[in-house]
Amino acid sequence: MRLFVIAALLAFSANAARAADIAIALTDDLVEVDAGFAGAKVVLFGALIGETVGPTQARVEDYDIVAVVRGPATMFRLRPMLRQRMIWLPGPAIDIGAPEVLLVSATRALDEIAQRETLRELGVGADAAALAAALAPSDAGAAFVRASGALAVSEAFLDHVRREGRFRETAGAVNFRKGALFSIDIELAPATPVGEYGVDVFLFREGALVSRDDATLSVRKVGIERGVYDLAHGKPLAYGLGCVLISLAAGWLAAAAFRK
Amino acid sequence: MQIYLPIAEMPVDPFVIVLLGGAVGFLSGLFGVGGGFLMTPLLIFYGIPPAVAVGTQGAQIVASSVTGLTAHLRRKAVDFQMGRFLVLGGAFGALAGVGLFRYLRALGQVEVFISLAYVAFLGLIGALMLAESLRAILRDPAKARPRRRSRRTAWMAALPWPMRFRRSQLYISPLPPVVLGFFGGVLSAILGVGGGFAMVPAMIYILNMPTNVVIGTSLFQIIFVMAITTVLHAAANQTVDIFLALLLLTGGVVGAQLGARAGVFIKAAQLRALLALLVLAVCTRLVFGLILPPDEPFVVEVL
Repeated sequence: MRLFVIAALLAFSANAARAADIAIALTDDLVEVDAGFAGAKVVLFGALIGETVGPTQARVEDYDIVAVVRGPATMFRLRPMLRQRMIWLPGPAIDIGAPEVLLVSATRALDEIAQRETLRELGVGADAAALAAALAPSDAGAAFVRASGALAVSEAFLDHVRREGRFRETAGAVNFRKGALFSIDIELAPATPVGEYGVDVFLFREGALVSRDDATLSVRKVGIERGVYDLAHGKPLAYGLGCVLISLAAGWLAAAAFRK
Repeated sequence: MQIYLPIAEMPVDPFVIVLLGGAVGFLSGLFGVGGGFLMTPLLIFYGIPPAVAVGTQGAQIVASSVTGLTAHLRRKAVDFQMGRFLVLGGAFGALAGVGLFRYLRALGQVEVFISLAYVAFLGLIGALMLAESLRAILRDPAKARPRRRSRRTAWMAALPWPMRFRRSQLYISPLPPVVLGFFGGVLSAILGVGGGFAMVPAMIYILNMPTNVVIGTSLFQIIFVMAITTVLHAAANQTVDIFLALLLLTGGVVGAQLGARAGVFIKAAQLRALLALLVLAVCTRLVFGLILPPDEPFVVEVL
């Protein structure tokens, strides 16, 4: 599969247009979550095409590459932990819209690659200011947001999702292979949520966007995992009755097995 | 090796879960209690979402109670008539408990609520058990007298529709068992416990049932109430993970058999003191979780 991708990219790059361009492909466009799922690695292959190749033109090192893997869009609900009397309780709800997963792999740290505004326009990386503008607090939550600052709330959110591994920014994650060929390893955590993922790859030179390409990636539950999940959410009553029947049978079996 | 749990949506090490089931099963065999009150907090400490831990426990308790009941059935130590009224109350209690659970879950408060309920429950039971077992250890065995059954059941006979419970040798109204069953059902639904070790003393001291039928009858009630609770949790909250339940009960049934055999060699009072300390330790751990500043300034859930 990998050889095929490289060969296809090489063939493509030989006939490519003259302008600097970027083309990518994933080794897998489907990640299957089954009973044994413990994370997955998807390799993104790409090539710089056009003026980058060739001895007299700009060198590969003059370019920056940023790959953004974006999970399905969702709403997160934040509740600040507040101390009431003796104990800590979750406080009022503050909703925040963000992708479930955001993995950014780049040649260098993002702020060395381009201006913050440029990155924000392209939607590269997690941006606390943009998140702060889109906070949707409940009435009680609004008071909390006013008191502590919207930016502080969205930064605390980013800290949280980074610690969880949902959001990750990796500098130096682009491996250059032969000439203008490169690869990026995308590590998906064991708790990766299912859904449709978008993969956007940007090519920068001297802080300006030169070219971009994209691909999609599906993460799906398969096999018995999917059957159990679909049943539990689609026909919850039947699933519950099934669970009870299985438990009754298991208990009876155990009694029969241990009877002297 | 890891197994991905479809409902908890997280990978777990199956050996750890089976061992956990085995350890709690061993204790429950040793002490003759269901063990749900230890299992749920331990699952939460392991990282299972509290709502899933509570929902799943039901399935595992149904299985272990069926195993336990078969032994009591052979000895005919089950009062089915009393059990029916306990189940009737328990069904409504489970309904109320699952409803409360669902409401608190929507408010985002269910995890703190589970912790608080466990602190109250474990603290009370642990303290009572410790006091009782210490008294038993310190008491002079020569002076010990067999406890006589008190026969203050007149107030229960005065309530409406009194009837004869032949197996329990009682003439009382069915209302007290229904009310008792109701509270047991609420407890089961919100804590993910069978509630046997709250119900058994209540049946002895409040209903005045003879001790030889109490455990069998309580297991009979637990099976039905936990079955109802499991179906309700599955239908209303989608928090029953059958994979997790099967892993737990695999360890649990083996552990319970080993525990029951080990129990023969240990003195009962010392054993109960030990269990009481264990219960209080789990309670203390939960208290620290509530009063220490949390690691994270926010709790975050995906909608």
